[in-house]
Amino acid sequence: MKKFKRIAIANRGEVAVRIIRACEEMGIETVLLHSDADINTRAYRIATKTICIGSAETTKSYLNIPANIEGALASGAEAIHPGFGFLSENADFADACDKAGIIFIGPSAKTIRELGDKVHCRELAKKAGLPLVPGYEGENQEVSHMLKEAENIGLPVIVKAAAGGGGRGMKLVSSMKEARELIESAQREALSSFGSSKVFIEKYLDHAKHIEFQIFGDSTGQVIHYFDRECSVQRRHQKIIEEATSPSLTDELRRQMGEAAVAIAQLGKYKGAGTVEFLLQDGKFYLLEVNTRLQVEHPVTEMVMGVDLVKAQILTAQGEFVFNSHQLRIPHGHSIECRIYAENPYLGGVPSTGKLGKVEWPEGPGRRYECGFDEGDEITPYYDSMIAKVIVWDESRSRAIQKMVYVLKDSVIFGVQTNIPYLIKILNHSEFVNGTMTTRFVETYFKDPIVLPELSEVEKRLVEKALQQSRGGLVGISPWQSFWRGI
Amino acid sequence: MEIKIRHNGIDHKATVQVVKETLWVHYKGRTFAVEARASSRKSRKAGAGVSSDKVFAPMPGKVIKIFVNLGQEIEKGQAILVMEAMKMEYTLKAELSGKIAQIECCIEDQVVLGKMLVKIEPTAGSTAKSAG
Repeated sequence: MKKFKRIAIANRGEVAVRIIRACEEMGIETVLLHSDADINTRAYRIATKTICIGSAETTKSYLNIPANIEGALASGAEAIHPGFGFLSENADFADACDKAGIIFIGPSAKTIRELGDKVHCRELAKKAGLPLVPGYEGENQEVSHMLKEAENIGLPVIVKAAAGGGGRGMKLVSSMKEARELIESAQREALSSFGSSKVFIEKYLDHAKHIEFQIFGDSTGQVIHYFDRECSVQRRHQKIIEEATSPSLTDELRRQMGEAAVAIAQLGKYKGAGTVEFLLQDGKFYLLEVNTRLQVEHPVTEMVMGVDLVKAQILTAQGEFVFNSHQLRIPHGHSIECRIYAENPYLGGVPSTGKLGKVEWPEGPGRRYECGFDEGDEITPYYDSMIAKVIVWDESRSRAIQKMVYVLKDSVIFGVQTNIPYLIKILNHSEFVNGTMTTRFVETYFKDPIVLPELSEVEKRLVEKALQQSRGGLVGISPWQSFWRGI
Repeated sequence: MEIKIRHNGIDHKATVQVVKETLWVHYKGRTFAVEARASSRKSRKAGAGVSSDKVFAPMPGKVIKIFVNLGQEIEKGQAILVMEAMKMEYTLKAELSGKIAQIECCIEDQVVLGKMLVKIEPTAGSTAKSAG
């Protein structure tokens, strides 16, 4: 049992900020291992120390194992927190940390290999008798062979990166005509995002809900779950809105799924934070995958369970985290998270990059903002377009929705377009309000870009006034200028 | 900057800022952007993407695959090329049937927003519809 003095962070953006904040509270110094494109970000400014480990391209920096290890060693860090994405589910990275004498904050390399690799995980689940979606997870990655397998399973099928997560490298194939191109594209995205082009195929369940359980293994090897989240609102297999707990589970289903989640985690000797994902269709659940890391949507669990998962991860890595067996774990109230993407909702969500202007989040009870950028920072095209997360908590789901809509409307982000107008439309949709949405909700109701509303008379007048004032400030002589001249 | 106007006897407040020649306005729960140089009537830059007979880059990013050759006959809706930005792939498709008249990019090219990538010579009878 050894307390860390310094932790390196092998990540960027809002999750790097999240980890730094947890370390600050625990009296631990932080070292941000960053690319040269991320100088103008909040994590860079608040970390105790920063080390540039490579250029903007992810393979040269955030996915570069030797560069990350060297950076951590040079800074004297005793542990590395990988955040999510990038190297967080890379067993080779966990091994490399081990070899260098640095503690990897997460499960062991062996656990990552067994559970994190989607293909191994399915094999393990089969042994444990957990229900699985039919699919092909073989070694033969020849496109022609994959095409045959897809045909055997029966369309529609989904192609996923074996080492993946977060929707990267995931493609839905609904006709054989487009199958070849989609499989190749999935392999390319898998390679560029996860360093391995290996993909697998799964039958696509067409009216399923995405439900997942937050699991945690403490320092003594005890595994429990912190209940469920629902993440059915997805676009291109990427989550947009998540909530805890799911509005769709009966007590009995919740108990069964929770037990299944803990069972597979125990089988993998799980340590630290992880997530077991399920698909739920017609009252039956299927194991989807296990993510051996912190999730983007971990805050909604923290809000309803009253836990700090990042601190718990660090304490577990230090060997001093043990569950209090007297403490009841019961979810309280309801929490929703919206991911804020820098994209143009009026052009079908194409990325919007540029320099950020004013950024303002309205403060109030039960509101939480996870943000990686401030005014003046540049949103670059090199990385994921998620620039922030807005999380709310309230006593009931309907109140939480009401609060989220208000908070999104009252948030100001200038300089780049965001998906906020799109999120507000989703939150107001009857199917979301009723909690009956499936993973096809977005493609069914929000397939087309939303329409840019015409400016109203008042808005036009506001624009005129704003332009007048800003021009006045730029070309006119301000009283301040003449004042200083007079000195 | 906070501004206020009076319209039909009612006060309206908004937060505004000019960022790189674009005026950003947040008013009543909605953010919108207009060109700061032009007259107030002109709202935001023309929508990029596949528009009429030209395929534009809808975002800054990298061209990673081109499916068509010069002179090739293509159908409306056919995939023209794939771009990558922010680690996601976007397939740009033809909005009309015709013949590929011009290809203005290569694989691995890093292109800016709004760059014309491919020009299509429409087949007679195929009408060009401009996008949003």
